[in-house]
This record gives sequence, structure tokens and C-alpha cells, in this order.
Amino acid sequence: MNSLLAVVYLLVFPGFLFLFVASLFGQYLDRKLYARIQRRVGPPLLQPFADFVKLLAKEDVVPDYADRVMFTAAPIFALTAVFAAFLYLPVVASVGLHSFQGDLIVVLYLLMIPTLAMFLGGWYSGNVFGVRGGMRVASLLFSYEIPFFVALLSPAVLAGSWRLSTIAGYESGHPLAIIVSLLGFVIGIIALQGKLERLPFDIPEAETEIVAGPLVEYSGRRYALFRLARDAELFVGAGLLAVVFLGGPYPILVSQPGVLAWVNGFVMFLLKTFFVIFLLILMKSAVARIRTDQMVSLAYKWLIPLALVQITLAVVLHSLGGLL
Amino acid sequence: MLNRLVKWARIKSPWILHMNCGSCNGCDIEILAALIPRLDAERFGVLLKGSPRQADVMICTGPVTKQMTERLRRVYDQMPDPKFVVVVGQCGCSGGIYTGAYGVEGGVDKIIPVDAYIPGCPPRPEAIADGLIKLLAKIEKGGSP
Repeated sequence: MNSLLAVVYLLVFPGFLFLFVASLFGQYLDRKLYARIQRRVGPPLLQPFADFVKLLAKEDVVPDYADRVMFTAAPIFALTAVFAAFLYLPVVASVGLHSFQGDLIVVLYLLMIPTLAMFLGGWYSGNVFGVRGGMRVASLLFSYEIPFFVALLSPAVLAGSWRLSTIAGYESGHPLAIIVSLLGFVIGIIALQGKLERLPFDIPEAETEIVAGPLVEYSGRRYALFRLARDAELFVGAGLLAVVFLGGPYPILVSQPGVLAWVNGFVMFLLKTFFVIFLLILMKSAVARIRTDQMVSLAYKWLIPLALVQITLAVVLHSLGGLL
Repeated sequence: MLNRLVKWARIKSPWILHMNCGSCNGCDIEILAALIPRLDAERFGVLLKGSPRQADVMICTGPVTKQMTERLRRVYDQMPDPKFVVVVGQCGCSGGIYTGAYGVEGGVDKIIPVDAYIPGCPPRPEAIADGLIKLLAKIEKGGSP
């Protein structure tokens, strides 16, 4: 009975089916709000689902010059890594489906795999645009990943724990921690935008320069998997920021543990996650694409020093005995 | 059941690829005008894609110059099935004023199968959007693969 419940957790509710629906809804929200900000009508609610089904039903094409195994494996790896990362987030209760001391690091590394998969997919697709886009993906990895890691570690230092649920719990107990790590939150949002390769950091797939970047040869179901992985990464990345910086499923107002407390935590988590997604959309609609060198100098001149300031602040506060 | 779902998805999400086969740029500007926020093609699920691998509908303009013939065929072959072709402008439909000229083939349908024609020199953006909707209605009725 207990193992059956675990399977249901894994596959249906806070597991894979929920993440599938949530990431499609996140894509819808992204496109709809983007359209509304541009004073357009925007796509209907089921648009991402229609795109997904249509791509699954298209002809299966593997280019002659592509490496068949790697070409197929890359999107699967990307999707698997994101879905695995989701299991560590405390979605409904104070503890995630799977949780241990240090799961923050695991989630950060799992969220890096889609980028590497995209690089490999572009590299093995046998297309010059794909290789070029893959190179851009790999070179931008070094500019946003360092500030992202450093910024996300500062709440962990404050809380004195590498465990996501403990960090979230600490922030609900010490609301001041959210204000202290506000700078880290801003850096995290900018770096996450770069990680998701959205405007202004969509340099790898700049369609005016290199067609579709690393995904140029991808079509049909492989492209659908990559798109789904990207949408799921948007949801999981936003959820990670919500847990680390905004306290995730807290505050739980219901005192008894039970269904009501679960619903409460779940609603809180969703609200915070969609707030982060909303910030990402606002940023996307306000700016235009920058060049590779501009992105690198933005990361190394501004984001990394500011992230170091943030983590120094966190270390000093922690060594002084923590927040009140 | 599954077929109906796939058909619904196909009609709801036509991603387009713009292909210039020697046009004077008049029709191309009008195609861009059909994608502006005022008409908002995205409410029908239309997205402009750069790669032929990800597109469903190829929008061709121009009378197909001899240089472009081989490229047009190749780009058409790169698109995965099911695929549709829409011709925008008088030149692409029949050759227009270039009919019989030494450098052009005269008409996209001499190279690849065409599903819808939108005549005009150039057609208005509303006419292009209307042509796309008519193509979708044709797919719904099962006129094409």
C-alpha cells in the first residue's frame, strides 16, 4: 500500500503528470502575457498542448550527417534531468518527495544537464548552425552558471544547511532572511533567464543569425521533448528560486498536519513559483537580445562581484550568530 | 479518437516558414505585416520558424528563378511530413509579369505541390491571414494529406 502511494506520488501528483501540466501551463502563461504586454490577443489555453501533440505526430527525421544515438539521446537526457530535479523540491509539504542533506547541490547540477544536452545535440546534428549554436550554448554556460550557484548558496549559508526544506523552513522562521538575500534573488532571476536562454540571453538560438541554434536539425518528437524539457526547466528553475529565496511552501497556516496543510503548502508554492515566472516574463518583454561579449562582461563585471558581495554578507551574518 | 486529436492539434498549430524564391520583396513585406500585433497570427497558433525542420506550412513568394529551383526543392524535402505549401503573390501563382522570361521557371507549382494560392501584387496582409485560415479549413475537411 505504501509503495503504491509512492508510485502515485512519483507519477501523478507532485510527480511527472503534474509537472507536465504545470510546464505546459507555464509556457501558455509565458506566451499569453508576452502577447498581452505587446497588446496582442495571444494563443489560446490549449496551444502548448496542441503544439506538443502535433510535434509528436510529425514525421521522424534524422539527418544523414547526424550521429543517430547522440541525436536521440540528447533530448531524453535533458527531459530526464529536469524531471528528476523536480522530485527534490518541497512542493506540497515542508519536505520534498526525496530529500537529504545537500540536495540543493544535486538540483543545481541536474538543472545544468539540459544545457549540456543541448550542446551535445547541436554538436552531433551534423549542421554548421547546430555546431555554432552548440558552441554558443557551451560558452555562455560559464557566464551565468557561476553567479547562479553563488547566489543560490547565500541563503543556504544563512540557514546553515544545504537542504532545500531546511532553507525554506529557516526563511519562514526568519522573514528578515528574505530581505537580506534580495540581491541574491535578483542575480538568481537574471542568471535563470540566461540558463533558460530567453531574451535578452537567447544568443544560442538567435534566429536572425544562426536560424535556430543547436535545435536547427531537430524536428518532430525529439524537438517536442526538447521543448518540454525547456518548459519544465522554466517551472523547476522558478520553483527552485521560490523555495530558496521566498520560502517555498511556507507559511503553512494550518496547524495540524493533514490534507488542509498540504493544500495550503501547495497553493503557497504555486503562487511563489508563478510570481517568479511573471518576473521572468516581464524581463523578457522589456529587453532586446545582447551580444555574446556583452553577456560575458555583464556576468563577470556585475553578476559575479555582486553575488560575492551577497555571499560575504551571508557568511558575516552567519558567523555573527545568525539573524534574529 | 487519436486521429481526431492529432488532426485538431495540426489545425491548431501551423508553424510557418517563409521562403523567398526570387520575389521583389513586396509580398515579403506584406507577409511580415500579416504577423504584426494588429492582426496577431499567434491567436491561431501560428509561429514563424527559421528552420524548415520545425515548420508545417511553407509560404513561398516570387516567380522561382532558375537559381532558386534546386534550393526550393531541397528546402521542401527538408520539411517533415505532413507539410503544406502556400503561395503568396501573383508571381508565385503563375509567373505574373515574368511569365516567359528567360531566368524564371514561372510559378511555384511547377516545382512542388501547392495547397493554397493567395493572388495579388502584393496581396493585403488581411488576404494572407485569410488564405492561411482557408488552408486550415481545407485541412479540417480532409482535402490534403
